[in-house]
Amino acid sequence: MYRLQSIRKCYGSNVALDIEALTIAGGRLYTLTGGNGAGKSTLLSILAFLAPPTSGEIFYAGKRVDWNHGSVEEYRRKVTLLHQSPYLFGGSVDDNVAFGLKVRGIREEERRRRIDEALDVVGLRGFRDRKARELSGGEAQRVAMARALALNPEVLLLDEPLANIDRETAGLLETVVASLPARGTTVVMTTHDPDHQGRLNGDSIHLEGGRHVLQSLR
Amino acid sequence: MDFLVSSFAAALRMIGDLSPDVFDAVRTSLSVAAGATVFAALLGVPVGLLVGLSEFPLKRLVVTLLNTLMAVPTVVVGLFVYGFLSRQGPLGVMGLLFTPTAIVIGGTMLAAPIVANYALASVRGADPRIVPTALTLGADRFRAVATLAGEIRFGILAAVIAGFGRVVSEIGVAMMLGGNIRGYTRTMTTAIALETSKGEFAFGMALGIVLMLVALVVNLFLNLLQRR
Repeated sequence: MYRLQSIRKCYGSNVALDIEALTIAGGRLYTLTGGNGAGKSTLLSILAFLAPPTSGEIFYAGKRVDWNHGSVEEYRRKVTLLHQSPYLFGGSVDDNVAFGLKVRGIREEERRRRIDEALDVVGLRGFRDRKARELSGGEAQRVAMARALALNPEVLLLDEPLANIDRETAGLLETVVASLPARGTTVVMTTHDPDHQGRLNGDSIHLEGGRHVLQSLR
Repeated sequence: MDFLVSSFAAALRMIGDLSPDVFDAVRTSLSVAAGATVFAALLGVPVGLLVGLSEFPLKRLVVTLLNTLMAVPTVVVGLFVYGFLSRQGPLGVMGLLFTPTAIVIGGTMLAAPIVANYALASVRGADPRIVPTALTLGADRFRAVATLAGEIRFGILAAVIAGFGRVVSEIGVAMMLGGNIRGYTRTMTTAIALETSKGEFAFGMALGIVLMLVALVVNLFLNLLQRR
C-alpha cells in the first residue's frame, strides 16, 4: 500500500523522522511503537498526507505521490487519521459522521445507511441526534471512529486511539480495529501498550529517535 | 444643573416625537455603518482567516501593519480617502465626495482592519485540530477553512459587530467625506458636533442618547457572543 524511500522530516535543524525504507502492505494491521519523540505522530501525518516530508519519496498503491494540492487531496480521501483526542465539530453526532460523506458528495439515502451502520459498529445506535460536545470522552472517541469508518477508507491511521478511554470502550474499539483488515482496510495504529500488539495479532513497526529500527511481520 | 435637566427632558421629547432631523441622522448613521460593515466584513474576514492560517516570511510585519491600521485616527482615513475622491483626485470624476457612498468607503477602510484583527484573533484562539480533522475527512483546503470559519462563527460575528461599532461612532470620516449635509449625509455624530456648536444642546443630547443606546446594544450583543 505504501512504500517510503529516504523519508526525512525536519523542523528547523531538528530531524523528527529519518526512514531509509519502509513498506506497508495493504489489508494488514500494523502497530507502530516507540517512545515519546520517536516520530510516530510525524510518520502518521505523512502517511495521512497531511504534512509532506522534507525530503524523500512516498509511493501509494504503486504511484509516486506528488505533493501538489490536487493529487494529495485525492490520496487524502483514501486515508483517514484518527487522533488520540479527536476533535468533534459543533452540532450533532449525525453532523459529525456525515461530514466526510457530504464532502464526497454521497447522496442522502446512502449517507443515512452508512451513518447508521458505522454508529452500530461502535455501539452508538440511537446517538444520531445527540449533541457532539455533550458526549463523554469514550463516546466522543467512538463517534470519531464511526466518522472514520463511515468513509470506508483504504487506510485507517490511529494515533493512540485507546489511550485515555475506559476499558469497556477500549475493548470495543480494539475489536472493531482488529476486524478491519478482513474488510480490506489497512490499519496502522500507534500504541504505548505492549499488550495491544499481542492482542491485535498484527505486524509491528518500531521507531526510535525518528529512525525506523525494526519491522516484524506475523 | 437646570440647563442639563431641561435639555435632557427636551432630548427625550424629541426622541419620543420622532423628530425628522433626529430620525434622518439616525437613519443615515445606521445605513452607512451597515453598508461599511458589510464591505469591511467581506474584506476583513478573509484577510483574518488567510493571515491566521498561513505561514509566510513577512507574516509578523503584516500582523503589525494590521494592528497599526486599527489605530489610525479617523481623520487620517478621511484625509486619505478625500485625496482620492476630491475633484482633483484619481477618482474625482465619479463625483462621490460628500455622498453617503463616500462615508461607506471611508467607513470600510476604518472597519476592515478591526474586523481582520478580530477574525485573526479568533483563528489564533481556535482549536488547532479543526483544519487537520476536516482535511483527513476528505475536505479540500477551501472546505477545511470554511469549516474552521463555521466553528469560530461567534468570534467572526463579534469581529463584524466590533467593526460596526467603530463606524457608527466615528466622526472624522463622516465629516470629511460626507460634508454633514442635512437630510443626506448628516450622521448622528456630525449632527451632534454641529448642533451643539450652534447652541442646540438638547438636539445634540437627543442624538447622543440614541448613539449611546446603539453602542449599548452593540456591546451587549458582543458580550453575549464572546461568552459562547
